[in-house]
Order: sequence, then structure tokens, then C-alpha cells
Amino acid sequence: MTLRLSVAIVSTVACLLMSAPPASAQTAADLFDRDTVQEIRLFINSRDLDQLRTRFREDIYYVVDFQWRNMRIRNAAVRSRGGVSRNASKPALRIDFDRYTTGQRFLGLKSLTLDNLWQHGSFVAESTTMAFFERMGQPAPRESFCRLYINNVLHGVYAIIEPIDNDFLARSLGENAGYLFSYQLQERFYGDYLGDELLEYKRRFQAQNHELESDAILYSPIRDLFREVNHPDDGVWRERVEQYLDLRQFITHVAIENYLAEDDGILGAYSMNNFYLYREANTSRHRLIVWDKDSTFAFPEFNLFRNAEENAVFRRAIAYRDLFDLYLEVLERCALATTEDDWMAREITRAGALVAPHVREDVRKPFSSEEFDQAIELLLEFAKKRPQYVLQEVRKIRAANR
Amino acid sequence: MASPSIASAIRPFTAGVYMLLAGLIAPPGTAAQSTFAPSAATQEPAGQGSKSPKPGKQDSQQKESEQEEEGAKKADDKVGFRWKGYPSFQLGKGTHIDLRARVQLDAQGADSPGNDSDEPETDFARRRIGIEGEIGGVLAFEVDRELEGENAWRDVYANYQQFDFVQVQGGKFKLPFSLDENTSATNLDFVYRSLAARVLAPGRDRGVMVHGRALDRMVRYELGVFDHDGRNARSQNPERVYGERTLAGRLVVQPFRSSKSIAADLQLGGAFTSSDLPEGARSLRGVTTFEETFFDPDLFVLGRRQRAGFELRWRPGPFSLKSEYMRVTTERRGQSVEDSDLSPLLATGWYVSGTWAITGENKADGLNKPRRPFMRGGFGAFEVGARIEELTFTSAASDGVPSLSVRADLVEASSDRVTTLGANWYLNQWVKIQLNAIREAIANPERRSLATREPSWSFVTRFQFTM
Repeated sequence: MTLRLSVAIVSTVACLLMSAPPASAQTAADLFDRDTVQEIRLFINSRDLDQLRTRFREDIYYVVDFQWRNMRIRNAAVRSRGGVSRNASKPALRIDFDRYTTGQRFLGLKSLTLDNLWQHGSFVAESTTMAFFERMGQPAPRESFCRLYINNVLHGVYAIIEPIDNDFLARSLGENAGYLFSYQLQERFYGDYLGDELLEYKRRFQAQNHELESDAILYSPIRDLFREVNHPDDGVWRERVEQYLDLRQFITHVAIENYLAEDDGILGAYSMNNFYLYREANTSRHRLIVWDKDSTFAFPEFNLFRNAEENAVFRRAIAYRDLFDLYLEVLERCALATTEDDWMAREITRAGALVAPHVREDVRKPFSSEEFDQAIELLLEFAKKRPQYVLQEVRKIRAANR
Repeated sequence: MASPSIASAIRPFTAGVYMLLAGLIAPPGTAAQSTFAPSAATQEPAGQGSKSPKPGKQDSQQKESEQEEEGAKKADDKVGFRWKGYPSFQLGKGTHIDLRARVQLDAQGADSPGNDSDEPETDFARRRIGIEGEIGGVLAFEVDRELEGENAWRDVYANYQQFDFVQVQGGKFKLPFSLDENTSATNLDFVYRSLAARVLAPGRDRGVMVHGRALDRMVRYELGVFDHDGRNARSQNPERVYGERTLAGRLVVQPFRSSKSIAADLQLGGAFTSSDLPEGARSLRGVTTFEETFFDPDLFVLGRRQRAGFELRWRPGPFSLKSEYMRVTTERRGQSVEDSDLSPLLATGWYVSGTWAITGENKADGLNKPRRPFMRGGFGAFEVGARIEELTFTSAASDGVPSLSVRADLVEASSDRVTTLGANWYLNQWVKIQLNAIREAIANPERRSLATREPSWSFVTRFQFTM
């Protein structure tokens, strides 16, 4: 009898432990679980929320309590973020956990982006893009979906996006001692030389670490990069530019973007945009990191060299045969990565099905639910047609350049 | 030719010497008591009159001086000009107008935190002129203003003083809170008031106040209603909020006043203010001795602001001991992220100071009448003193993680601890020279540039001319 009772107690305790993992078991990997729509709740003083809605174009921080599952992070900071996606109804948000409370982290994260998925009717274009970059061996921020409640009012489906910061660098590149810059869209900029004044580069490349170091240390290598990019002597161009830019990584990045028909990236329609620049420690060499991809999947017949002539770096780089070949080769690999195991179609279908019921509940989205369904269809069509188009175009280009 | 650094170092002293000379050549006269430059340590609510000596002059020696003044005033009833150490126009019995002036010039060392240049810096702390007087012996008045600067009008009030036990004062004057804040700048033991008095006490505002003395002057009371809670609680930022209609009161007792013991001068007191604040960012901010801001976040408030203060003063013979504790709480109704109440903001300040008149003058009489004035058979009066003080900002909560968030329940504490060593030289009734060595240690997570600065000594010299 006693033995039976003991077994029952032990079994009950074991079941409880297995069914309800303790809070300490929760990790950032749980948060970025791609198969789960998370629930995030923000609590903001009603006065601050009114201000945030009224002044959504300004980067003003407000105090917020952030809750996920049984974890509540008090005295975090929230502000409106984004470019054209900024709005009052379904605000795009950035959360900083340590702005007011020194050293405060959430699952080891200093900050998070809550993307309002305002620009693409499919809701899954960005997450698919990031997953594709990852699939192509390029570091990309982790993403998952959530239902966001602000003061217990559902504000719709959002993407939770990992910040590009020192922790990201350590996770994805294995080191973070270098210099990280976020590109800030200003006037049209295609890699032109902006002169000797560091201020022009400082305006465009916002330091994300080492902020207390001098402008000369932070920005001189960036200025030197664009000076060399625009150097007239083709004979020394590559040798000099490669001191400041990993050209093979640059070409790979642009090829993936262009494969995904990105119209707001390095070869963007208006300017270079949506990337981070990272300079590894003890070098002057930079590389690109992908960011904010909500303008991809434009259409399957997106030109492989769209805006190529505009960008000084890309234009000069593909004049070198090996880099030109690399560009085409990456495009081919992208096509293969799309069709292999029907990866892209399956990813779009999986993510679309995951968010669909929540999208229909999202009354703040700028699209109808029918438009969401149509957008998913268009993505699937892209996944089907884009590889064929790219491979065909690459064959033509190779033939022409033989 | 002197080097620029030497020349710049000499400059403030040259200005001080001019003031000194002006004081020395001024004509001799009777040093009359005045609200502008009271001889004893506190500036009090009313102007001075035969029927109502200032409550601050409650010293044992004061009775004798009051009798002397009575005699002098009888002789002074004739209409005409008098020199009382300052110009005075007698217009009839119990009616006179006095002209007053005060100049204070401060010289800060080159390494002082308040000095942005690489050279010693001089600055006029005060250049004030004013008139004060009485009408018919029952109505006292005072009007004074700075010669330049914002809020130039300082005290502008009238006091109906017919009865000692109940008087009514109206106009603009300091709220009855804090011994140090209500001490005339002329009579400060140190160059600067305590941080608690400068930051937490309300300062001046418009209002009306009932005050008086009772029980053979053992008890003094002041109770008034004011438009707001004083200039000290305001910010230049128009978005900051401050107290609305304010009730303020102060009660001071000298329990052993009637005794002949050494404790006769011992004075204890308490004070309060109470006002409502509209919703917004609070205006009370922490500043260092040299006016650097060390605590000024946009903490949101709504509700009642209350001040409580306790004071002690004892001046046995050439010694003095002063101490105050002040506490300001400001409610934050509906200010949490869930629109519920946050714990009140809490600002506290205290100081303990002591002085010793080396030349033996009685501190309660004031040292501005040295026994042997400079160049009149002596060297004036010398005094040394020390003060320690602290000013702290936090909130009343005790649980949770401290944060710098403007809606944190537990606000991370910021504080400034200051030690001041001082020497005062009273050359005569008009001229005083003060030298202070000041050491500040800031514990402040918000302004790390200040918090990480190594505490160091700063030196300030003040030249003062008062008439």
C-alpha cells in the first residue's frame, strides 16, 4: 500500500514536471520557435500610449512592461520604429530591455523588434526571406510570429525579430569584438564617395557598438571604403577595395537579394537600404548583414541586374570575371535552394497556415483577409516561377559572355 | 608683465579689494537691525518695528538691544535724514524709509566643477537694492530686487504688525519652511546654503501669512497660503509641473528661553507644506553645490506634494550648531504602466553645521559688529565652521528592481554628499569675506559622468558688501 502510494506520488510529480517546464527552461530559441505563434503583452500608461500614437513618427521612448508567458520584464522601453510602416493604429515597435534598468535582459536579449507586417499582404514574406538567407549560409536575424496585445487589446499579428547586436554577432559570426553599423536611409546613396568629412558617413552609418570611440576610429574605414570604391584606376581597384570590403560576401548578399526580387536592398530602386555593416575586429574589412526584408518577392521576372549600373560598388565589382561568375553561381544556387525539396513553397505554405487564423482576427491590418490569401498565392507562384526564370536568364547571360 | 594665468587669478581679488575699501571708507554709524541684513541668523517674515522686533532675534542679548533701540527710536522721531549704517529717512513717529544694498562677488577656483573655463572665475552672486521701512509703527514693508537677471523682484511684501501675537503679512516672500532657506543670504555661515534648503525648501512665492509669537516669545508660529510651492520647485522647462495653491506652516519653540542657562538659545522647530500637482513631469531636480544637475528625469507625478522639515539651532556663546532634516513626498497617482498608482517620489536632505567665532563674539548677536573692527583698532571678527550634508532622490517603494524608468515604482537612488569647511572674516559691519573648501561625492546612476568623477576639493571665496 505504502509502495503504491509512493509510486503514485512520484508519477504525479514527474508528470507535472514534464508538462510544465520551469521558467528557467525558457530560452530565446523558444521565443523564436518558427512553428509557434507567440502571445506578447505590453503594458503602457494610457497617457504614453496616446503620445506614442500621436507622435508615431518620432523615436520617443516610453516605459513599458513586457510579458511573454509567465515572464514579465518591468521598466523596459518602447518606441515607434520603421520607415513607411510607421502608423498610429498598428504601431511598429522596438523594445529595449536595458534602457532604464542597467543590465536587464529578456532571455538574454537586450532588445527586440516587433514588426507590424504592414507592407506585405502575405505576412510571411520577411520571415521567408530571412530563412532563405540562413539557408544560403548568410547570417540573418531569427524571426517568429506573435499576437500582440497592448493594454490587453489585440493589435494583430506581428513578427518578433532578433536584434542585430553583439549577441547576434557572437551567435552567427562567432565573434563580436568588431564594429557594427546600422545603415540609415538618408538621401539617395549608391556607394558614392561623399568626401573627406566623416560626418557624412556618420549620418548614414549609425554605430551600434563602441559608441564611445572617436569618429576617426569608427568612420575612417567606411570613408576609405567609399573613396577606394570610387577610385578611377581599375588596375588597383580590387586590391584596394578588398582591404575594406569582403567583395565575395558582398556579391553573394546582392545575388540573394536580387534572386528574391528585393526592390529595397543594396540595389534598391531609390538607394542602398536595409542592411548592417560589420567590420571585424583588428581589420578594416567590412561585410553586409541582412535586415528588414519586407519588399522582397516583387515578381518572378525581376531583372537580375536591376539597378546594377546605379550602385558604384556592384558596378565596379562585377567587371571582374570571377566576381561576375560568382554572382551568377549564387543565383543558380538560390534557384536550387528554392526547388530542392520544394523548400520555398513548403516554407510559405507552412508559415501561411500558421498565421492565417490570426491574420483573419487582425482588424488593424492594412489588407483584407482575401488580399492575404491572394498574397500567399502570389508567393507560391513566385516560388514556382522564379527558379525557372533565373536559371534561364543565367544560361542566356553565360552564353552571351562566352 | 604678469602672465595671463596670474592676472586672471588676481582679477577677482582686485574686485574684492574694491568692495573691501568701499566698506572701510563708509561713514561710521549705528548698525541698525534690518530685514535686509539682520544681525542674528534668520530672516523673518516681517519688517522690523518697535512694536514687533523680528522673531529671529530671540536671543538673550536681544532684549538689551531692543531697549537700546527703543531709546534710539525716540530720539529718531524727528523728521529728517539719518545714517544708521545705511541711509534712512525719518518721516514722522514710527514712519521711516531705509535704503539698502547688497553686493556679493564669488571667485571660484579654476578646477571648481562650476567653472567651465581653465581660469579662476568670478561672478556676482547678488547685486541687490531695496527699500524697507515702517508706517506709523504698525505696517512694515520691504521691496527689493536684483539689478539684473530673471525674476529680479525678490521680497515684495507688507506686514501688519500692530500685535506681537498675531501679525498678517502679504505679498511675495519666502514660504515659512526651513531655517537655512529663511536665513538672509547676508548672514549665511557658508558661501552657499545647504543643498536641502536650496532644492527641497520652497523659497519665495506670492501669498498671505499669519504669524506671531506667544508664551513670552517661547513659541513662534507662521501659517500661510501661497499661489504655488515656491521658486525652488520650478523649472525653466514649461512642461514641468509644480505645486498649485500651497498651505505652509512653521512652528518654532525656544523651551528654555526664559532661563539663564546655556540652553536658553536652543531652538527647535518643525514645518510643513502641502500642495496639489497637476499631471506631468515633476520639476524638483537635484543639483550639486555648483549647480550641476545630477538628478532630473521626467518622472511623472499627479497628486499631493508634501514637505516636512525639522530644525535645530543652538548658539551658546561663540559657538553655534545648526541642523535640519527635510523630506518631500510627491504622489504619482495613476502613473504606472497599468494606470495604477506608483509609490510616491521621495526626496530627503539633511545637514549638520557648526561654527566657532575665534575672536570671541557672541554668535547669537551676529558677527557683523566685530568687537574690534578692521582698521579701527583691530582685525575684525574671525569664524571657522564645518558642515556635512546629503541630498537624496528615490521613491518610497522598497520592493522590486531599482530602475531609471520614469514610471518605475522603485526609482534608483541618486545622492550628493557634501562636506564644507569654511572661514569667515567680518571686517566690520559692512564687509565680510568667506572662504569655503567644498568636497562633493555624487552617487548617481543617471548621470554617470558625475558619478564617476573622483570627489575632490573645490575652493570658493565670497566678498560681501552690505549696507
